[in-house]
Amino acid sequence: MGTYITKRLLLIVPTLIGAAALVFVIMRVIPGDVALLIFGGDQAGQIDPKQLADMRHRLGLDQPLIVQFGTWLWGVLRFDFGNSLWTGRPVIEELLIRLPLSLELAIAATIVSVLIAIPLGMLAAIRQDTWVDYLVRVVSIGGLAIPSFWVGILCILMLVIFFGWGPPLEFTPPWIDPWANFQMMIWPVVTVGYRYAAVTTRMTRSTLLEVLREDYIRTAWAKGLRERAVVIRHALKNSMLPVITLVGTEFAFLIGGLVVTETVFTLNGVGRFVVDAVAHRDYPVVQALIFLIAFGFVVVNLLVDLTYAWFDPRIRYR
Amino acid sequence: MAAVTRRYHALFIVLALAVVAASVVTAVHAADTPRRGGILLAVIGADPPSLDPHQESTFATMQLVAPLYSTLIQIDPYSYPKIIGDVASEWKISPDALTYTFKIRPGIKFHDGSPLTAADVKATYDKLIFPPKETRSVRKGAYLAVASIDAPDASTVVFKLKHPSASLLENVASPWNVIYPKKYLDKDPNYFMKNVVGSGPFKFKSYTPGASFEGERNPDYFVKDRPYLNGYKFFISTETSVRAAAVRSGRAYIEFRDLPSAEVDAIKKQLGDKVVVQHTPMTGQFGIAINNTVKPFTDERVRKALTLGLDRYTGGRVLFGLTGLKDVGGLLRPGTEFAMLEADLQKLPGFGKDMEKNRAEAKKLLAEAGYPHGFKVVLKNRNVKLPYQDFAVFAIQEWRKIGIEAEHRPLETAAWFADGRDSGNFELIIAPTVEASDDPDVFLRRYTTGDTQNWGRFTDPVVDDLFSRQSRALDAAERRKVILQLQKTVLEHAYYMPGLWWSRNVVHWAKVKNYVAPPNHYANQKLQDVWLSED
Repeated sequence: MGTYITKRLLLIVPTLIGAAALVFVIMRVIPGDVALLIFGGDQAGQIDPKQLADMRHRLGLDQPLIVQFGTWLWGVLRFDFGNSLWTGRPVIEELLIRLPLSLELAIAATIVSVLIAIPLGMLAAIRQDTWVDYLVRVVSIGGLAIPSFWVGILCILMLVIFFGWGPPLEFTPPWIDPWANFQMMIWPVVTVGYRYAAVTTRMTRSTLLEVLREDYIRTAWAKGLRERAVVIRHALKNSMLPVITLVGTEFAFLIGGLVVTETVFTLNGVGRFVVDAVAHRDYPVVQALIFLIAFGFVVVNLLVDLTYAWFDPRIRYR
Repeated sequence: MAAVTRRYHALFIVLALAVVAASVVTAVHAADTPRRGGILLAVIGADPPSLDPHQESTFATMQLVAPLYSTLIQIDPYSYPKIIGDVASEWKISPDALTYTFKIRPGIKFHDGSPLTAADVKATYDKLIFPPKETRSVRKGAYLAVASIDAPDASTVVFKLKHPSASLLENVASPWNVIYPKKYLDKDPNYFMKNVVGSGPFKFKSYTPGASFEGERNPDYFVKDRPYLNGYKFFISTETSVRAAAVRSGRAYIEFRDLPSAEVDAIKKQLGDKVVVQHTPMTGQFGIAINNTVKPFTDERVRKALTLGLDRYTGGRVLFGLTGLKDVGGLLRPGTEFAMLEADLQKLPGFGKDMEKNRAEAKKLLAEAGYPHGFKVVLKNRNVKLPYQDFAVFAIQEWRKIGIEAEHRPLETAAWFADGRDSGNFELIIAPTVEASDDPDVFLRRYTTGDTQNWGRFTDPVVDDLFSRQSRALDAAERRKVILQLQKTVLEHAYYMPGLWWSRNVVHWAKVKNYVAPPNHYANQKLQDVWLSED
């Protein structure tokens, strides 16, 4: 087990460097750079080519690519992710403004999705091909088919049209004002939670159905065990491995992948930050965020793998 | 007896009417009496790249920080484009128009308590016009006539010019030219990208990137009894429907830039008289840059065919509800001092109202140029829906009627700048012109040789000469004559293709008083006279 974990931890290093190098190259290949955009604005301005060159020099964009990458990587080793080329502020400072919100949303949405998905998935599997199963399938397919941003906009519009009320426009941390935080976060949490519950419900249903058809479950039924004991003690635990993988990767994705939902609900989260940074060609920000999100994915994957052993004692890490 | 009763009745009615009239007058007076207090809540569609208006050109910077600063002179908030003083109480221009002397009001303080003097104004304009290497000034091209700025004493600033400049006052009144304290500029010319020390009606309170920006009342503001508000707060949201919903739900009282007509109608329908919509024309035009250096657009006949094929008048009717694009005009905003008259405009290619005739002429020109069956072309664009993409789609379907098949290629903003403005890697590209005033220098410089905004990369010595002449012409009538000639030359040769002039809807709750929307989203953002009739 110890060797396995060490190997996995060591593998993180090349994975992260690979991700960083890939993002670095992609960002340089796409046309335009941050200096152009800084001068652009919506008024277009009157730009002096010399000033543009000076700006590129000031931002370090005129250095060879290998030097730029090396400088950045050296900074990362010292936990210095540099400054945003767009705002001039340290990337970490910018990230810390947004991370609590994204974490809260990811955690709450994951909890909501698990709370909805596992009971519904179980119910659909146990009552396969009954009206209950059909209803759960319709609801979950709806969650998959309807884009969450559309559900979000619909939520806001219905609140505004029918109640003349809209969610607050600014994030308040729960430790400052729990009620204001609840008023703001409940809608994106439900919107995102519903979307991910749909995926997890379907996964729970199908894996549970598979397990329920196993011989040892038939044996359990034959022994005269109660339904609860068969389903919860024998079937559910064994059907959970794919569901855990799914929930884990979803959680990692939720931290940086909720761009549209964040935009719709005016949430100043990490997802929006990444997309804005790409649009502004803010290289240090994009590189740092992708690096950190990749790090998050790797860690979550490792934790998921380690959880397998608890759910399935047959799994031994070598 | 009956007569007496009638007399009493009449007296009663007169008295009653007098009471009603008096109460109406009182009510109107009460309603018009500015109320102190309250926080103005607003929504804005973008985050500022920095807080320094000298270095930025986006409303996202201007709207947030304008209330925190003063300018030397300003455009009258209630009478655009009249120029009035701000920190300057008066100014005079020498008879040869080469010296402008401004007198600074006494007793003005920056928010850090230090006095605002002529030295601060000089340092500010030195940074704007002669920026140090480590900083930039986006609009320094507007001050090419300025030779030097002097501050002979604490209350006098003198601009010395190399040659007369008809637009100097308009450019000095630009809302972007906020005055900074010299001592901070001396330490770091980029200090104000991240910090705010102004002398405006409000003081900086807080800024959370991507979320909100707040200012609070400056009790030491140099205009007596202003501002009325205790503060203002902007919420930042890039999603149009969210900003509209925020106004609709009362989470925000105003959106200063623009909301699409469909959203405005929905807000008006739900809230009725609780909201006010100010529809204003805009100092901005959406047109198409034609790359004059690539075939077939090196041929004037092809360029003319393109402009002849665009039915601008139908476009104005169709696109107005969707985008706010509305008026047909030349290179300057219709109805303004130096704009072309409609009758003159209609004589130019593409501006006549008989579209059948225009299209026949376009097809004839294409045939003469060797394209009897039209040709295929790529129209590059910015991937922003309103109004960029709607306008492009309209133009494409218009050109199809004369045999030109245009492929619409929306690009990310960075690529749009890189391909269009900077490298000329395009055939046709949507190229808007949005400025803070109608000033001809600002609007027409882009048609001169080598100007960085000359996306179409054309060269015409006649245009260059006309631009230079109009810039120095101090007599308005003479200047108008030259400007009309310049516009005629550009449009006759179809170097550039104007589309439609923009308009905007500023929606706000009726309780927001004393705000007059100017014809652009940069000016009149100081909020010093704005008040709320209720919280």
